[in-house]
Amino acid sequence: MAANRWLATGNFFITYKEEQRTFLTSLDRLIFSIFLSALFIWPIFFSLSRPYMLVINNILIAVIAVLGLNLVTGFAGLISIGHAAFVGVGAYTVASFSRVLGDSHFLITHMWPLLILAGGTAGAITGAIVGLPSLRLKHLYLAIATLSFQMIFEWVIKFMTFFNQGQTISVGRVTWFTGDIGRNDHYTFWYYVALVLIVLLGFGIRNLFKTRYGRALVAVRDNDRAADAMGMHPGFTKVYAFALSGFFAGVAGAVHAFLYKGAGIESFTLHHSITYLAMAIVGGLGTINGSFWGPAAIEILNLQVEKFSEYAANYLPSAMNLATALRPFTFGLVIVLFLMFEPRGIANWWRIVKSYTKTWPFRY
Amino acid sequence: MSYFFQIVVSGVVVGSIYALAALGLVLVYKSSRVANFAHGQIIASGAFITYALTVWASIPIYISFFISMLITFLLAWSVERIFLRRLIGEPIISVIMVTIGLASILDGLIYLTPFGTKNFSFPLFLPAEPISIYGVSISWTQLVGVIITVVLIGGFSWFFKKSTVGISMRAVSDDQFASMSVGISVPSVFGLAWATAGLSAAAAGGIIGNITGLNFDTLHAFGVVVFPVVILGGLDSILGAVVAGIIMGLIQQFAGGYLDGNFGLNGTGEVLPYIILLIILLIKPHGLFGIHEIERV
Amino acid sequence: MKGRNTGWIRLLLTITLIIGMSSYANAGGKVYKVGLSLAITGPTSDAGNPYAKGVEDYFRFVNDTKLLGEDTIDCTIKDDQYQTDVTKRNFEDFLDQGIVFYLNYSTGSTLALKKDFDEVQIPVLPASFHAGNVEDSKYIFLPIASYSEQAVSLAEYVVKNHKGDKPKAAMFIHPSAFGRGPVSDVEKAVAAGLAMEIVEVVEHGNDLDNTAMLQRLMSKGVQYVICQTIQSPVATMLKDASRLSIIAKTFGENGKITFLGAHYTGGNDLIDLAGNAAENFLWTTSYTITSEPGPGTDAQLELAKKYGRDEKAANSHNYANGIMVAQVTTEVIRRAKEKGLEISRKTLYDELNAMNGDNSYQPPTTVGPVTYSLTDRAGVDSLQIYSVQQGKFRKIGEPITSEYMKKIK
Repeated sequence: MAANRWLATGNFFITYKEEQRTFLTSLDRLIFSIFLSALFIWPIFFSLSRPYMLVINNILIAVIAVLGLNLVTGFAGLISIGHAAFVGVGAYTVASFSRVLGDSHFLITHMWPLLILAGGTAGAITGAIVGLPSLRLKHLYLAIATLSFQMIFEWVIKFMTFFNQGQTISVGRVTWFTGDIGRNDHYTFWYYVALVLIVLLGFGIRNLFKTRYGRALVAVRDNDRAADAMGMHPGFTKVYAFALSGFFAGVAGAVHAFLYKGAGIESFTLHHSITYLAMAIVGGLGTINGSFWGPAAIEILNLQVEKFSEYAANYLPSAMNLATALRPFTFGLVIVLFLMFEPRGIANWWRIVKSYTKTWPFRY
Repeated sequence: MSYFFQIVVSGVVVGSIYALAALGLVLVYKSSRVANFAHGQIIASGAFITYALTVWASIPIYISFFISMLITFLLAWSVERIFLRRLIGEPIISVIMVTIGLASILDGLIYLTPFGTKNFSFPLFLPAEPISIYGVSISWTQLVGVIITVVLIGGFSWFFKKSTVGISMRAVSDDQFASMSVGISVPSVFGLAWATAGLSAAAAGGIIGNITGLNFDTLHAFGVVVFPVVILGGLDSILGAVVAGIIMGLIQQFAGGYLDGNFGLNGTGEVLPYIILLIILLIKPHGLFGIHEIERV
Repeated sequence: MKGRNTGWIRLLLTITLIIGMSSYANAGGKVYKVGLSLAITGPTSDAGNPYAKGVEDYFRFVNDTKLLGEDTIDCTIKDDQYQTDVTKRNFEDFLDQGIVFYLNYSTGSTLALKKDFDEVQIPVLPASFHAGNVEDSKYIFLPIASYSEQAVSLAEYVVKNHKGDKPKAAMFIHPSAFGRGPVSDVEKAVAAGLAMEIVEVVEHGNDLDNTAMLQRLMSKGVQYVICQTIQSPVATMLKDASRLSIIAKTFGENGKITFLGAHYTGGNDLIDLAGNAAENFLWTTSYTITSEPGPGTDAQLELAKKYGRDEKAANSHNYANGIMVAQVTTEVIRRAKEKGLEISRKTLYDELNAMNGDNSYQPPTTVGPVTYSLTDRAGVDSLQIYSVQQGKFRKIGEPITSEYMKKIK
């Protein structure tokens, strides 16, 4: 045991078990617990307007999706340009129930946690199927295979009458122990649901990487032949990475369907797949905390650009094009600048801050 | 029977335009192993520059077509110089994402111009009357498009086979270290590859713009549409792009001509290329003419 | 937790209201908030852009010329890039600003937000004329006749003017609900006795060449193609048709095809895209257009000039479209004010529903009066047919209204 349970200036592990702890020091755990409780408590004391609550919920849903994308692209090194389609599978699972049973059937209003799980499962199954080409393909070819899955998904949804040909299939409001969730509580309620899901899934991933199944992913990414020699099955591992990522995406999609009270194809297009990738990259590929930074950064950037555009539009009304062209422009610029100057993403800044505070006031 | 032949002719015409659009992707991939997701935007800018020169600066279209090729040549070259040169040796995901980011930046820039939100069409400069042989007809625009495609593709093939620069580009695609050791400047080869890709994109843009009219949404979609084509042909083969382009054109036209509206199906021409793409990826990932270098897992 | 939460929201709302009230009092007149969320960038922005300009210009005109006396309309316009998620956020934002009237844009977002509109009971005018918008919804009003009605009217026009046997027609549609919506209604009209045969329904993609499709239609003896999509695919098809020289020079010419289209297929954008191939294309809409000058179009051009819009925007039918919804909004506010009512969502909704009979409203830029009632959800019921002659859309006959639409309802 290290002498001080609260502070550690470096890595003093003696046993393997110590290395496996989630929190290295008690201070870490304390800070994390405070932070987490703050996340749970603040809506009670401080009320945000609905649009902002919606933005926050969007960030949380994107966090769930990007956690999944990070599993497959960051940890397992398989590029997926079809992540929004997996999210769509989750959302459309919920929507299908709603379509068959009616949008305020008991199953939807009361059994919604089960439906979220069903969304995740459907995502996982599709993920495993789409992951099959990864048995043979790598790198760019795999990326293009996932791209074609995205296209086929969009076509199927837009073509089939069952899916309302891509138009919104509405999903009713849900009920909780406190009664029906009305319009005013809707966003706060789903904030909590998403938050709980993130905590569960986040710890899930954290623990996964303590087991052989998680480490196999990284091993396959770094060198699949070596991993093969170590007794892992690279092909199976890749399919399983896709399935796992599909599960996260499916859960995100199901929550999305409930939050927006419906599913429509416009929320699951190629553009969204690219946005998820951008979030993962800006946050930091292959890191768990990056999956939190990325969505927050991109969503807030979008919001700020929008605000700035409106502000600019007040002064140059006839040049509205200038103001609105800013959004794609800054989005692209942020991706490119991060890749050129900080390929490890915001997670790397976080690491620097952490190591700085750890040794403060000394520097190395 | 003329129905059948008309479909064949249309398929070949559409296919050769696909081939021209795909050419840019192949050129970049061939030398630098980068898939360019911003290709659609470069095609669109090529079309818009041609239009701006022809209509706003009143330059005859024959000349403005070449000037716009020159401009996109420089544009693509500077894109490579500014953004992609730093990323040589970075993981493939970074490179893919940089080109996606570039696509978004170009989107933003195009929205600054009237082309982002308005529709235009090229003035007629060819006879409007189609050429008709035995009930099979082809418009002058399409014919000229095919001729330009053939000339450009022939030119590029010659360039890669015979010219010193072309051979050095092939050398780089084969083995970067070996080519460096014999004195080839790898970065300048990359720059040149992008520049020639830009040039072919402008040509493709000009032709597509003449056929569909200038609508930004329609034009930049071609950047994605050609992916099935290049995969089918093999990402690094010019000949592959031509053959696959024509096959894809034929498949789409035949799907439109015989499948659609018959079995309760519709819009199959849209999705078939991607289904074929998935099948090819599973069976023959290096495409018809690509180099067998895919690593098996 | 929940109870407390609503308490906070209420408190905040009251504070905003109090602050808001006091600022109104200072300004002298009242400010009525209106919101518009639409695609200024992204897909369909070629229509959304002039639409936004029309709305913006007309409300500025209202405020500058004091049409509502000291009162002003404050319309916030937000870009949603054709993304439903963003539309929803914009809408929630507008609600927080306390809008009394909402203008929406796409079919997708209108359908997605339908339930929300009902919940907050706000009158909505979308730019989408999809018939499905008003199903099970009390608060959505279509500015003009629905796409279904447009398509059925075109079919009726074909039947009325066709010479010879039962006309054979095909429909060329957008691969989405926006395109598919009218198909079933046209089929219903046929079942209800409209003497026409729908041979085929074609959904288009990003095609470079429609030769195969056109030849197939020819071989099936199709003489009329009714289009319900956006301009660019129609332009490509017309160019191919003109190359195959199968475009009818006169209506219903034997062995040729006459092309007809609903609101979003036509306008100057189509001529811009298709050039000469657009000749003889028949288009229907409820708006007056600048190639047929009249008092309405003069007013439209003057407005565009006043606020420095370019030629293209000024002559766009989507600019007229934007002006029209702004006019309807202004009109209901004016009427409610005249009656001495407090301007709220409820009063404006009632005013809209009362807009019929003697109370119907005739905006200068439409070919017929705007009428709404609890059962009639489409504003302008009459449609004008235009045809391209020498690169300009020209009026054909007088405005028409569909007969079969009433029968199949």
